[in-house]
Amino acid sequence: MTKSAVPSDTTALRDETMLRHVRQLGSARDGLSEWRLQRLTAIALIPLSLYFVASVLWLATSDRTTAAAWLSSPVTALLVMLFVLAGFAHALVGLRSVFLDYVHSRARLVAAGLLVRAAVVLLAGASLLAILKLFLGH
Amino acid sequence: MERPLSPFMFPVWYRFQITSALSILHRLTGIGLAVGSILLAWWLISVAAGGEWFEATHRFLASPIGIALLFFWSVAFFYHLCNGIRHLAWDAGYGFELGTAARSGYAVLTLTIVLTVLAWLYVFFA
Repeated sequence: MTKSAVPSDTTALRDETMLRHVRQLGSARDGLSEWRLQRLTAIALIPLSLYFVASVLWLATSDRTTAAAWLSSPVTALLVMLFVLAGFAHALVGLRSVFLDYVHSRARLVAAGLLVRAAVVLLAGASLLAILKLFLGH
Repeated sequence: MERPLSPFMFPVWYRFQITSALSILHRLTGIGLAVGSILLAWWLISVAAGGEWFEATHRFLASPIGIALLFFWSVAFFYHLCNGIRHLAWDAGYGFELGTAARSGYAVLTLTIVLTVLAWLYVFFA
């Protein structure tokens, strides 16, 4: 690996610069935007997931009224909705990259991609609806 | 054209290294967390639905199977979180030296165990 004055020059974090180099070798299709989405959601998920897990630990020994009251506060509802959105987007990109490595036929790759997209949209939609119901119903 | 595909490489050409083992573990825990997100959605829906739904969900989560699932989910979560931060450091260009990469790997494993133990101590004793 070549040494560089700025460490991030060696990675695609500087994507505008890197894209110019990459273009010489041909298109990477949507690879770069998926790469960025995976990192952006990863960074967002550090505080969001820690907040969610800490809250669930606190709720672990409580009853439904406490959990419902927790989710009816606007700050909680917003943070948990963002956690759900970032989490499912991160999972979708991650699962797709696993499929790209291990599913070796185009038809199966498309089928697996559609299936996991459907599952993610369904689960994320249901989760958001549940949070909205608790938030608006209060 | 017959090109080598990734599962072909592992048992034949690679010997065990902490870095590659942790990389595989990162993917496995990622897949586990994605599957576990079904439980997350289910729990949120049960809180919103209330009544018998919530009671049944909490009975399940407090059962030995539920506790085991939550335990594996928590290990996967803390590992994926710590190792994810390690990956982000690499993405920014830091920690690529072989010695550093191995040491940060052991640090991730240690931190995973510590955080998991602390979380479960809190659940059972706080």
